[in-house]
Amino acid sequence: MGKEKELRQEIIDLTIKYYHEKFGGNKFIPGKSKVNYAGRVFDEQELINTVNSSLDFWLTEGRYAEEFSFDIADYLEVDNVLLTNSGSSANLLAFSALTSEKLGNNRLQPGDEVISVAAGFPATVTPIILYGLIPVFVDVDIPTYNIDVEMMRQAITPKTKCIFLAHTLGNPFDIDAVMEMANEYNLWVIEDNCDAFGSEYEGQKTGSFGHLSTISFYPAHHITTGEGGAICTGDPQLAQLVRAFRDWGRDCYCAGGENNTCGKRFAQQFGDLPFGFDHKYVYSEIGYNLKMTDIQAAIGAAQIKKLPVFCENRKENFRKWKGIFSKFPEYFIVPKATEKADPAWFAFIVTLTEDAPFTRDQLTAYLNHELIETRNLFAGNITKQPAFIGKKWRLADHLNNTDYIMNNTFFLGTYPGLKDEMFEYSEQVINSFISDYTS
Amino acid sequence: MLAKKYRSRIVSIKNPIEGIYTIEFESLGRGYKFYPGQFLHLAIDNTYDGVGQWPESRCFSMRSNPDEENIRITYAVKGKFTTQMKETMEEGDKVWLKLPYGDLFIQDHNKEEPVFIAGGTGITPFLSLFAHESFREYTNPKIYLGFRSVNHHIYQEELANAKNPAKTVEIYYQDSDGLIDIDRVFSENGLTNDYFISGPPGMISAFTNTLVEKGVPETNVITDDWV
Repeated sequence: MGKEKELRQEIIDLTIKYYHEKFGGNKFIPGKSKVNYAGRVFDEQELINTVNSSLDFWLTEGRYAEEFSFDIADYLEVDNVLLTNSGSSANLLAFSALTSEKLGNNRLQPGDEVISVAAGFPATVTPIILYGLIPVFVDVDIPTYNIDVEMMRQAITPKTKCIFLAHTLGNPFDIDAVMEMANEYNLWVIEDNCDAFGSEYEGQKTGSFGHLSTISFYPAHHITTGEGGAICTGDPQLAQLVRAFRDWGRDCYCAGGENNTCGKRFAQQFGDLPFGFDHKYVYSEIGYNLKMTDIQAAIGAAQIKKLPVFCENRKENFRKWKGIFSKFPEYFIVPKATEKADPAWFAFIVTLTEDAPFTRDQLTAYLNHELIETRNLFAGNITKQPAFIGKKWRLADHLNNTDYIMNNTFFLGTYPGLKDEMFEYSEQVINSFISDYTS
Repeated sequence: MLAKKYRSRIVSIKNPIEGIYTIEFESLGRGYKFYPGQFLHLAIDNTYDGVGQWPESRCFSMRSNPDEENIRITYAVKGKFTTQMKETMEEGDKVWLKLPYGDLFIQDHNKEEPVFIAGGTGITPFLSLFAHESFREYTNPKIYLGFRSVNHHIYQEELANAKNPAKTVEIYYQDSDGLIDIDRVFSENGLTNDYFISGPPGMISAFTNTLVEKGVPETNVITDDWV
């Protein structure tokens, strides 16, 4: 073994020791430790990959980015996966790609309408507004928390060109109905799969149905790279467009450190440039630089191998929460998987019934005080958010359920770091709260 | 589809005629993925470890179709790199391939009565399509091929098994028929067809110019070339 390899092995051996010393033994103490709604779950392999990548010092997309993106492609059974620096960037890039002039009359243009929901996260909606298109908000169903497909059909007009929807908290939307409408009206479909990486619909992974889909690797999500995201598509032209928008808008698809992989670097005509202008510096889109680093991808390459187990953990944790809340049907509406779906739940979402003798905020304040973390369903009704007031959007009809969710809904974590004793503790706290209000 | 490095092993090297070699590669890891008509980069630098800067490599069209497990390329010995390939590569050797590249049949094109024109080993990206199910989507494809001699036409079996029964094939042997007659090709087709051209750079350039001069829109002439 060469000196360099010997040293690397020595560093890796120390890294493993460090992992066990630093992260090896976290004990849950009821009432003193937090029951987080999300968190990183990792072992020594993530640290080993991070250190290896640092020692490679390749920095930009390299061997780990390649491994990670191809593992995602294999997992989802899609042809193209492009890594980016966040799930929100993934949404931006997926949407941007559909605005390219290279798509001719099929491209999205300012003034076109995009079907979405207001009960969600802003990153699904902001690209629509940024590009001058009109989000059309459709109400959602309770207890799936996904778009009401009957109302969605009513919302479609000749201006509708795209459907951009998240699988809410891991629960797939009614994909059959959405894809049927997309085909009938020739609409683009972007699946925001950020909260649903590993969920299935009719045995097929979500993120493989739409023209484009997105994933987030923020630490709260199914797997993490710290910051990070990905765009997936089976369409090679869309993949090239996403790459162009991600990489400064450039036409050339050579990766960092590569040159002239097309063999025509100095032999083409572009725009009004002189013939033979270096293809590496030809820009065919108004783009960004939203690439992932190889160090981030190194973490992802270790995380994705754990994804099937993580998804099973999430489903099991969902069942545990359901057992706790189902005991009080008079106070809580528990979530329901969409028909034909097998969700890898991002969270356990709860809505208070109209008859509950306490408010959502009273309950969540109590839970958080007792160190059990909760979150609301992201933006609630996004049309009420300061940034969205005065912007151009359209309501398909009423948003009654969305408003109800804004006021009465919260969620708890299902992440794989939850332990049995955390559920036991949480159950005691919830029972105690309810008993205070009902005795 | 995005390019990936594949550590590969040379399964066979065939030399059916002087100066022409066909190499078959098998992946030592993940299965190859590409679309018909795409090309790969072949590196024969034994010091490359798959991590750092991609070494010197050369482009080759894939002759095999994406449904095959292994990849075949066919090359003519013409320059320094291909001479080195001929002299150093042996069955069982490990090499690095990086693929896929190119958008020959991915870019928007007209599948109604397309014209395929190939010279010599330039036929290989077309064979990748002809053997693929997607070739059935083309209406009445016309194929014009040029070879130095009948012995240089080593692709009979693949042409016979092409997936589109409506195809017509016209072959020019240079030693008896001369070069492909591009004027005749044009007269047998027209201004609105898409013309795919692959072969020696001089042929591609001359045929492209002729077709454009005759009024075929530049966007209808799709070439598989690199310089």
